[in-house]
Amino acid sequence: MQPIALLALIIGIPAALLLAYVFVRGSTGLRRYILTRIGLTIPIVLILGSLVFFIMHVLPGDPVTSALGPKGTPEMIQSIRQELGLNDPLIVQYGRFLLNMVTFHFGNSLVGGHRPIIDEMSERFPATVELIVPASILALLLGVFGGALSASKRKKAPDFVLRIYAVVIYSLPIFWFGLVLQLIFGVYLHWLPISGRIDPIIGTTLKTFTNIYTIDALISGNWPALGSVLVHLILPVATLGLIQSGLFMRMTRINVIETMQEDFIRAARARGIKERVLTYGHALKNAMIPVITLIGLQVAILLAGAVLTETVFSWPGMGSYLVERISARDYNAVQSVITVFAMLVALISLAVDVIYSLVDPRVRY
Amino acid sequence: MKSKFALVLVSVIVIFSVLLAACQQPAATTTPTAAASNPDTIIIGTTDKIASLDPADAYSTHDWEIIKNISDGLLNWKPGTTELVPDLATDMGTISSDGLIYTFTLKDGIKLGDGTPVDATMYAAQLNRLLTIGPTCPNDVADSLAVPYVKSITAPDAKTMVFTLTTPIAYFPQILATAPYTMSDPKIFTADACNLFPTAPIYGTGAWFVSQYNADQQMVLEPNPNYTGNLPAQVKQIIVRFYSDPNTMALAVQSGEIDIAWRLLSPDQLTTLKSVSGLTIGTINGGSIRFLVLNHQMDPMTDPNVVKAIASAVDRNEISDTVFGGQVTPLYSAVPPGFLGANQAFDTMYSAPNIDGAKKFLEASGYSTTKPLAVTLWYPPEHYGASTAAWMQVIKKELEATGEMTVTLQAQEWSTYVTALTGGKSYPAGVLGWFFDYPDSSNYLDPFVYNRGEGTNVTTATTGSLTGTPINDKAKQLVDLLTQADIETDQTKRASLYDQAQTLYADLVVTLPLFFESEHVVYRSNISGNSADAYPESLNIGPNVLFYYSELKKSQ
Repeated sequence: MQPIALLALIIGIPAALLLAYVFVRGSTGLRRYILTRIGLTIPIVLILGSLVFFIMHVLPGDPVTSALGPKGTPEMIQSIRQELGLNDPLIVQYGRFLLNMVTFHFGNSLVGGHRPIIDEMSERFPATVELIVPASILALLLGVFGGALSASKRKKAPDFVLRIYAVVIYSLPIFWFGLVLQLIFGVYLHWLPISGRIDPIIGTTLKTFTNIYTIDALISGNWPALGSVLVHLILPVATLGLIQSGLFMRMTRINVIETMQEDFIRAARARGIKERVLTYGHALKNAMIPVITLIGLQVAILLAGAVLTETVFSWPGMGSYLVERISARDYNAVQSVITVFAMLVALISLAVDVIYSLVDPRVRY
Repeated sequence: MKSKFALVLVSVIVIFSVLLAACQQPAATTTPTAAASNPDTIIIGTTDKIASLDPADAYSTHDWEIIKNISDGLLNWKPGTTELVPDLATDMGTISSDGLIYTFTLKDGIKLGDGTPVDATMYAAQLNRLLTIGPTCPNDVADSLAVPYVKSITAPDAKTMVFTLTTPIAYFPQILATAPYTMSDPKIFTADACNLFPTAPIYGTGAWFVSQYNADQQMVLEPNPNYTGNLPAQVKQIIVRFYSDPNTMALAVQSGEIDIAWRLLSPDQLTTLKSVSGLTIGTINGGSIRFLVLNHQMDPMTDPNVVKAIASAVDRNEISDTVFGGQVTPLYSAVPPGFLGANQAFDTMYSAPNIDGAKKFLEASGYSTTKPLAVTLWYPPEHYGASTAAWMQVIKKELEATGEMTVTLQAQEWSTYVTALTGGKSYPAGVLGWFFDYPDSSNYLDPFVYNRGEGTNVTTATTGSLTGTPINDKAKQLVDLLTQADIETDQTKRASLYDQAQTLYADLVVTLPLFFESEHVVYRSNISGNSADAYPESLNIGPNVLFYYSELKKSQ
């Protein structure tokens, strides 16, 4: 089984079960909403994929000449273009692209070894998941609790420090921040590795099933590999997660401050409930709705950030794959990655909307 | 309030101090980490990617490096040199009197890494893949290095291999030493299909076999247990680690995550690494050259005075010093130093920078300060590194220093650029780089002269002709010299022919050679090459730019 298929099962089965549960237990309105959103996802992905298809074909440059360089004779170029179907009319190529999208086949890469893109994504996508999931968790934990702390200590020293942190960290260029962390923790202090997903030597002992190395190391009980994978995750996850945490922190802070001025908080305070319980138990919970919305929106930004983070840390994920293939004019690969990204963003937005209704009973669809 | 302000101020100062400190030059020391401390494994970093491991298809420097380490050919280059020695063959073979038939005898006891015995029939069958399925493979090395030259490959008996050529070519032994002519495993590389990314283990007859390969992450090579050649492995494992960013690779060798950083570090990164103790930088005068392609069928390059004026005005030393900090070497002929018959024809003829000489050529064609020549130079902004724009600016400044030329620089993204330039119909002049397929002077001259010459247009393409039709008498003389050199087997006579050809090439200014880029290998202090072979200081990587992993040793 393809690692990407296995991964889809690992993520997809619990997600589908959850969705089914919500669907069955939810209100009629919610059921209708879920069906509508799923229905809308299809044209969204289709429109986005089509846009990318036409933009890539309008851009100057040709994948075959780009790959062969000056050593490619006109005969060689023609022969390879013919083989790849690049000499077909644009409408025929578009039809083939749509068919590939619908069947999740994605076609073959136009450069290098002309491998099936599904194989290349099987190697790359799990690496990106392994990066963005802990980065999101870090961003969320740091952002939400930092924001709540900042709000509870409003106009006091921790609030000033956290506000400055939030602004500074969010304004840092991600590639520069990654490089700084590499220099400090990799080159100066020698505490952490600066590149790759696992130690090269330990990596030779890891048997892969899903290509998510933490899961693979756990499945195979390879503890040295697990340790190495976790250590290799620290810098890229910190780079991506810390930068994202700034926005969550600011959003949480302002919402908690607003909630803290609500009547129910005042009433609770009058009943003698401790300030900490008020902040983290009552206000934070009620301030989470806009933050959850932000999580959905941030997925796209997180994927964009992963492009830069993966390049800086030589992390072999979808982001670095996208960069390589854009410059090589590998239409098929770029279209496929964008399609997968679009589906991911659409599905997470759907999940966020569903979670919305679970978190806030007032929300009705 | 004051205390709050002080706290905030202190916090800000601390954050910025840490960030600023990180921006300083890295400490000039390194501390070994896991990679460096394991004496059995050497980790080599590279920004190259694997495009194909099928010898009948692969056509990139790094793919060839891997293939040459896992498999042998009939002939091979002695480490660090371009001198050919027998490898799987017992000797250098025999050549028929008409130069068309090469015959080789195989050594006894050759086996693939999995123990499969190799005979001439099997080897010939594998090489015939080049002529049968090779041209249909994606990277299509066959149409460059096999189909034009080789008519048939046969094995009359189990020990003898016979190559029949389409035309006599003196440098055929050099081609035979390249990766496409190595022995491959018929179980992996079958007769009917290209197999670009076979599943490991991948065995050949070489000192190593590929035991693991994770695309774009790392490749693991281990010693071939059935190797019978002269270059056995010195360590138990080589790991080739792939980097997407050269900066990260530079930091990785500095921090000890990898033992060797090989291809491609920028001049800036090399300058930084030079100051790091515990690291050695080996310099290889390799085969990568940069030059201007001048389109002789497009104005204003149709005027011989114009191309000669450009050749006179360009100061290669200034490019080297100001843009590359002296890390590239000025090039005064199409053939780099060290290759057969290489000379300094452009220096002899134009003594560049020679502004007065350039003016004379321009004035002979009616140009002046009031009626300057307008020239457009094209370049790809990224493909040859971010410094390209900088050295194109230097060239512009130098040409305009004549006062009789105005230069417009135009950048174009690579995939569009290369088609337009080498197509010979769109750009009057542009930058191109070249890396040899086989280390022979012919590979630096023929491609730029024959059959439109990569956009130089000193010949026109002619169906069925290897050389095309020369555009004038001088071009015809040049083509004649090169075709004679192609078939001349006496190396002294060949050197003389190339000497004359380079002079004529400079007179025509077919292309304008600018500089050649040395390759650099950066390695940690516990890594060494083989002192018995050439260039141990660059880990025995010499002018053939071939990295033999078997030459590597690692101390504790």
